[in-house]
Amino acid sequence: MGNPLHHFEVHNVIPIHIGGLDLSISNAVIAMWVGLALIGSMFVLPAKRGLSLIPSRLQNVLEIALEFIRGMVYEFIGEEEGKKYVPFIASLFLFVLACNLIGMIPGSYTITCQIVVTGVFALGIFIMTLVIGFSKHGLHFLGILVPPGIPKVLIPLMIPIEIISMVARPVSLSVRLFANMTAGHTILAVLFGLAMSSVMIGWLPFGFTIAINGLEIAIAFIQAYIFTILTCVYIGDVINLH
Amino acid sequence: MPQFQQIEVFQSLIFWSVISFAVLFFFLKKFAFPPILAALDEREKKIRTDFEESEKLKQDVEEIKLDLEKKLKAAHEKAETIVQLAQDEAKKLQEKTVQETEAKVKQVQRQSEQEIDSSKNKLLREIRSYTAALTIASAEKFLKKSLGDADKKRLADESIDQVVQEFEKR
Repeated sequence: MGNPLHHFEVHNVIPIHIGGLDLSISNAVIAMWVGLALIGSMFVLPAKRGLSLIPSRLQNVLEIALEFIRGMVYEFIGEEEGKKYVPFIASLFLFVLACNLIGMIPGSYTITCQIVVTGVFALGIFIMTLVIGFSKHGLHFLGILVPPGIPKVLIPLMIPIEIISMVARPVSLSVRLFANMTAGHTILAVLFGLAMSSVMIGWLPFGFTIAINGLEIAIAFIQAYIFTILTCVYIGDVINLH
Repeated sequence: MPQFQQIEVFQSLIFWSVISFAVLFFFLKKFAFPPILAALDEREKKIRTDFEESEKLKQDVEEIKLDLEKKLKAAHEKAETIVQLAQDEAKKLQEKTVQETEAKVKQVQRQSEQEIDSSKNKLLREIRSYTAALTIASAEKFLKKSLGDADKKRLADESIDQVVQEFEKR
């Protein structure tokens, strides 16, 4: 049986080196592009063709998706403030979803299995929340470190705890997505390895791979949803403070 | 795990994922989201307007219905009045006709009675004159002598009266 983690390895397909930077195009990047091209064209093409007041099936799907994300944004950020974040949050959801789903195709690659990718996005979102917070509230934004209603004696204790909790946000956000996708694909690899190793009882783990595949598709949606909803919560927190 | 060991690919993964996200964000924000959100808003607006319009129409219909019912009721009342008037008129006409007929019948009756009376009188007069002549003739024969005119007349009158009385008694 081969190494079940083998398929997480990245192989450079087109080596590109600019200066000291290695910007090679790898199998992971190509898989991501395929996913993004599919989901991007699914949204852009019907919109460019023109939408009708009585929607077609595809238009219905797009509208439901967008309305769902918009509802989420309005719920956690507020309708007034949330309007300008809808495109970003929707793009983030579709990006994560496309990357998660394209990895379900055998031989493809799930770029969200790379903690460095999820980490960059989580860090970017964290920095974005700080920028939004300071630009909106100025130095009052630091009040987010003091939960309302706590006794003054506890403030010196609470501030470090709140700082840790703030810093833990991007860490948990990135690790959650990375770990879920990695775990799912590892299980699939192990089960498939088992299925291939024995001809006699191989059908049993193979049956499980089919079931886990269904579960993984659901997880692809759920993790994309969790990633975006937490982003909404973090942005909502810094906009509305406590 | 390769994700922690292949440090050399980190740069390219970070670079391309961020760039790809930016490109996706740009395309979706510029070309996809505004028309889709506009379509959603437009539909919501249309549904709201249509709903309000239908509510208004419903109210109008309700008012028209009430108005028509009122008119219908008035028309019914009017029709009833007309029928009542016609019935009254017919009754009056009938009564009048009956009265006129009765009056006419009475008049005819009276005329007939008068005619009967006059015929009776005429008949009586004729009988009287015949009886007088007869009496005179028979008396002349019986007395075998002529009487003076005054006696004739007195005798005749007495005979006539007698005859008439007899006649009337019968």
